[in-house]
Amino acid sequence: MQMTLTQTLVMALIQIVAVLAFIFVVVPMLTFAERKVIGYVQVRLGATRIAGGRKGLTGAVNKIMWWMGHFPVISFFRGLPTFMADGIKLVTKEDIMPAKADKFVFWLAPILCMVPAFAVFAAITFYPGVLGVFPTWVPIVGGLPVDGYITDINVGLLYILGLASVGVYGIVLGAWASNSKYPLLGGLRSAAQVISYEVPLTLSLLAPVILTGSLNFKTMSVELATGMSPWAILPLFIGFFAYITCGFAETNRVPFDLAEAESELVSGFHTEYTGMKFGWFFLSEYTNMIVVSALASAFFLGGHYFLPFGFQQFVPASWGWFAQPHLIFFLLKVFFLLFVFLWVRATLPRYRYDQLMSVGWKYFIPLTLVNLFIAGLVRFMA
Amino acid sequence: MSILSTLFPYDIYKGLKLTGRYFGRNFFSANRKKVRANLKHITVEYPEVPVHLAPRFRGRLQMLRDEQGEIKCICCLACERICPTQVITIEKDKKEGRKLPFPKRYTFEMERCIFCEFCVEACAYDSIILNHQFELAAYNREDFSHGTEGVFQNMFKPTPVGTFSVSADDDGNAPHY
Repeated sequence: MQMTLTQTLVMALIQIVAVLAFIFVVVPMLTFAERKVIGYVQVRLGATRIAGGRKGLTGAVNKIMWWMGHFPVISFFRGLPTFMADGIKLVTKEDIMPAKADKFVFWLAPILCMVPAFAVFAAITFYPGVLGVFPTWVPIVGGLPVDGYITDINVGLLYILGLASVGVYGIVLGAWASNSKYPLLGGLRSAAQVISYEVPLTLSLLAPVILTGSLNFKTMSVELATGMSPWAILPLFIGFFAYITCGFAETNRVPFDLAEAESELVSGFHTEYTGMKFGWFFLSEYTNMIVVSALASAFFLGGHYFLPFGFQQFVPASWGWFAQPHLIFFLLKVFFLLFVFLWVRATLPRYRYDQLMSVGWKYFIPLTLVNLFIAGLVRFMA
Repeated sequence: MSILSTLFPYDIYKGLKLTGRYFGRNFFSANRKKVRANLKHITVEYPEVPVHLAPRFRGRLQMLRDEQGEIKCICCLACERICPTQVITIEKDKKEGRKLPFPKRYTFEMERCIFCEFCVEACAYDSIILNHQFELAAYNREDFSHGTEGVFQNMFKPTPVGTFSVSADDDGNAPHY
């Protein structure tokens, strides 16, 4: 059935709202999970209560949370109001701008950081097919199928990589516009770091491109999971570790968070940012984490299928549910990789700057080039 | 060697294994039903759960009574004499039916006390202890004066301010919750 223009627009709008809701639910939950995961790693409990006395509203909330602690799974979600408190604090905090800051660029930088991080989701396929059909009584879009992706661009990967590298402009411009020495140093570090890690990141993503001969996100994720020769497991395996490491560097996460090395640079590029302007930087960093996890799970961990690294081809059709692609597999892989981000943060100390650069240029670029060669061989043999 | 250790980061693997083990242990113990022996984390959820204090914890000075309810103190003034900050003042008196002297007044000025436990060590009759009360903050200066009678805080009971700290028994074990 051919959709009219209105129907297409409304359908896209519905999908965009759903994806935005997904981001705005996952990001605060991620900050909460970060407190809890790092707490458990350090033999603590993480957030279990909110500030306040034993009386009044906070007291009642704290009593409820103490009571929640007696039940097995619910116990993990004690302290959940902390993320609401975080949000309220960010939104209501005073917005301070340094007197000698470049006003326009200072405003522009968080937007430049955030918009690409969100826009990338347009090309990400959450499910390669139809998620469901609207019932016929729904106005405008009744009876129409809902796809598991917003758009199906032919050069989806190119679009994602192009937009993702725009994000660093936000960091550098914000650092420069602050007109202060620590943000500037942090921003320059971040620029150098992201530029050097962009190369192995793209090279590691080129292996799947060579293996599938496509830049379309949906085609690539489905092909990589099911249609590869058994030899393709090797380049995918190496590529996964190279990609996830470069992804850590791209998103400025520990152990590569030199852009905000708080022991040296106060807090790096967002030192002068307060309130919701800082909040956008924060949000974009966590959204970028979701993007990196989504790409890694789609291209290397089997995407919407059950088994990672192309092992899905050995799954017989008799496995039924496990032989089919599902949204839940993709989301589980994304959440696992997000957990890995927190896990690594709780484990590894920050790299020294020259170590970071040498790892990037001396090891990862040769490694990903070799990986690319292996992928080319596999493609040539097949 | 360096290139090998970079390509196969065994140290990172070891670190992740260690933190992963700690995460799993604490995650699965903390989010089960609470049985004190099964909990692996070190966080004390303080107001709700009493604090686990060491047996030798030195809290506030407290006077003891014997089985008959008589004050054990016999006013030998050993504690008053040894006290480095002179926070103890004892006034001797005689009492009907009691052979040994009786403290008519025993005051303890906690604002200057350094909790050194010399008084308890000097006491030959085990009539005073430093109990396990640690919530000693108060709003008024008078609330730091403790005594046996009158307007003073009672020396025989915990301070009413510390509602959550009468926690550990004499062996230092926190009560089961």
